[in-house]
Amino acid sequence: MLNKLMKLATAASLAFAGATSAQAQDEGVLGEIKARDSLLCTGHNGSYLGFAEVDAQGEWQGFDIEMCRALATAILGSPDKAQIIPISWAQRFPAIQSGDIDVIIKVTGWTMTRDTELGLQYSRPYFIGPFYVMSRSDLGAESISDLEGGVFCVNAGTTVERVLADYMETNGIEYQPLAFEKGEELRAALYAGRCDAIAGFGPFLSSTRVNAPNPDDFTIIGDVIKLEPEGIVVRQGEDDFLDVINWMVTALLLAEENGITSENVDEMKANPPSATVERLLGVTPGVGTRLGLQDDWAYNVIKTVGNYGQIYDRTVGDDSRYKLPRGLNNLWNNGGLLYPLVLD
Amino acid sequence: MSTSVVPPLPKQGFGNWLKKHFFSTWLNSVFTVIFGAVLIWMCIKLSNWAILDAIWSVDNKEHCGHGAGACWAVIQDRGRLIMFGLYPYEEQWRSTLACLIVILTIGLSCLPSFWSIKKLPALWVIGFGTFVLLMRGGFAGLPLVTSEQWGGLSLTIFIFSAVFVLGMPLAVVFALARRSSLPVIAKGTGLFIDLVRSLPLLTILFAAAVVVPLLVPDWLEGNKLGRVVVAFAVFFAVYQAEIIRAGLQSTSQGQEEAAAALGMPYWSLVVDILLPQAFRNTLPSTINQAVITFKETSIVTIIGFFEVMASGNAAIGGGEWTEQFVEVYVFLALVYFVFVFGLSRYGAWLENRMRVGHA
Repeated sequence: MLNKLMKLATAASLAFAGATSAQAQDEGVLGEIKARDSLLCTGHNGSYLGFAEVDAQGEWQGFDIEMCRALATAILGSPDKAQIIPISWAQRFPAIQSGDIDVIIKVTGWTMTRDTELGLQYSRPYFIGPFYVMSRSDLGAESISDLEGGVFCVNAGTTVERVLADYMETNGIEYQPLAFEKGEELRAALYAGRCDAIAGFGPFLSSTRVNAPNPDDFTIIGDVIKLEPEGIVVRQGEDDFLDVINWMVTALLLAEENGITSENVDEMKANPPSATVERLLGVTPGVGTRLGLQDDWAYNVIKTVGNYGQIYDRTVGDDSRYKLPRGLNNLWNNGGLLYPLVLD
Repeated sequence: MSTSVVPPLPKQGFGNWLKKHFFSTWLNSVFTVIFGAVLIWMCIKLSNWAILDAIWSVDNKEHCGHGAGACWAVIQDRGRLIMFGLYPYEEQWRSTLACLIVILTIGLSCLPSFWSIKKLPALWVIGFGTFVLLMRGGFAGLPLVTSEQWGGLSLTIFIFSAVFVLGMPLAVVFALARRSSLPVIAKGTGLFIDLVRSLPLLTILFAAAVVVPLLVPDWLEGNKLGRVVVAFAVFFAVYQAEIIRAGLQSTSQGQEEAAAALGMPYWSLVVDILLPQAFRNTLPSTINQAVITFKETSIVTIIGFFEVMASGNAAIGGGEWTEQFVEVYVFLALVYFVFVFGLSRYGAWLENRMRVGHA
């Protein structure tokens, strides 16, 4: 009861003042997760392309689901300890305040309102949500400026329509917008060749492309017209939990940077090529105890879920049906925006 | 001299029937021809789409979406997801069985021979108990399946019947309370009914699922599905209470007075005299309310339950079958049609049966 009142009080006070004090001292969600022996993550009330989908067997899969499994492995040692709770977009913030879920991993953009007014705390971005343009392959366009004067099909009144208009204005590219009321009409027009290009969120474009009569007729252009950094969300004041999440993301990126995959992680552990890898895989102790976890947590995560690139390829990238280009979600040394923190 | 004039016999035969109903005037003939042609054209189009040109098997999936025909392969591939939602694949026989048990329970309780104050609650306790035990498991080697994983058609039917079974007695209580001679009870109930009726169902369910856990102590919190069903039942009850109240008002005051004069106790008056008449008089509106409630169960998808509609959306949301949304929605419409049409027919049968002896 007291705990409830505390939660309500913090939820209310945070909503108004953004105070941080009281709550962190008692138990904390990390303790609750360990006591419960399961991690409650966000699913979706339906399927969301590539991030949280239900397959024919009713099993969850997708990028966000894999991140949740990685987190469950880090804390509890097994991906099966992740319990996916179906939750709608509108429900995610109240649900985390009421304790229905421990963490939001649901393509949730880091905005100032959410960060300051809702009593939430964001991890470092684990995914850079891109808006792209997809054009007809026969036009041979390599950048958006090659499509000067072309017909761009958009959904009327959506964010995408505005985002595209902003980008085109900023870059001084002339284009003819053609608006459609419904997604199906937009697709039909695209397949019928009425549009030179369409704009949209990456996974949406990919699935539009994959479902085309001939997918090779369409190409996603590498230029990002807008990006939205997606973070993992916890309640305000869950500092220990947030530490674990940030270092889990770093472990996935470090593994990729150092070429550690789920296949070769045992070899790497036996013959670590560098001191960083040694520390990451728990050969020299410290990576776990400082976070309140086992020292082999990162090894377990990489062994069972893989590194960042493997997760990406499997769920939304080249090995999936979406074939979403890595783009900004590449590591910094491959032209992307992602980088691991320093493991010392 | 008397000549008896025999009235002309109505002409018999199909030809005459056709002439009388469809070709009686030239205008009628024109309409018949036009609408007949449109109807035939639509039937041909529909059967071409749904049957002749349709693709039935996942093996032929690559032909989907490029021809004119329906792609029923999506139902073959994702049918179990639509019917069972997130329920574990190997355990779905339990969901099927549980679903059949509840349908059987509904069927049995529709039979007048079960309508007694003892039999009906016993039937429902057994029916629902078996459903919950089977779905939940966690004993006798059946793995535990928490209610977050329940889904598909069995969840829809569970929510509907639980709402109906909880809501109906509640509605009777509300209706009687509103007619109470004690002003506090009557006014209080009236205010409550008007209050709940003025809120949208979505708000009530959202509050039950999300806000209640913030407000009540842990031991009262219960499970999310339980909270949602109770909230839904209260919502149903306030509407149904007004329907029953209308039925109660339609019985004449004299009957209550006569019962009082005979020294009948209040409960006997209500159970034996008022309610049977009230239910009979309001049967069409009650069936109406039941049908609306069945269709409104799809709202629970917004608070993260995988009932049959949400499962259908999950089936087409995965990118693989995105273009087959029409087929999935047609399938869902058929599922709803089977239940709603069944309800309506049952209502019609009941009305017929009750009319016997009341000519």
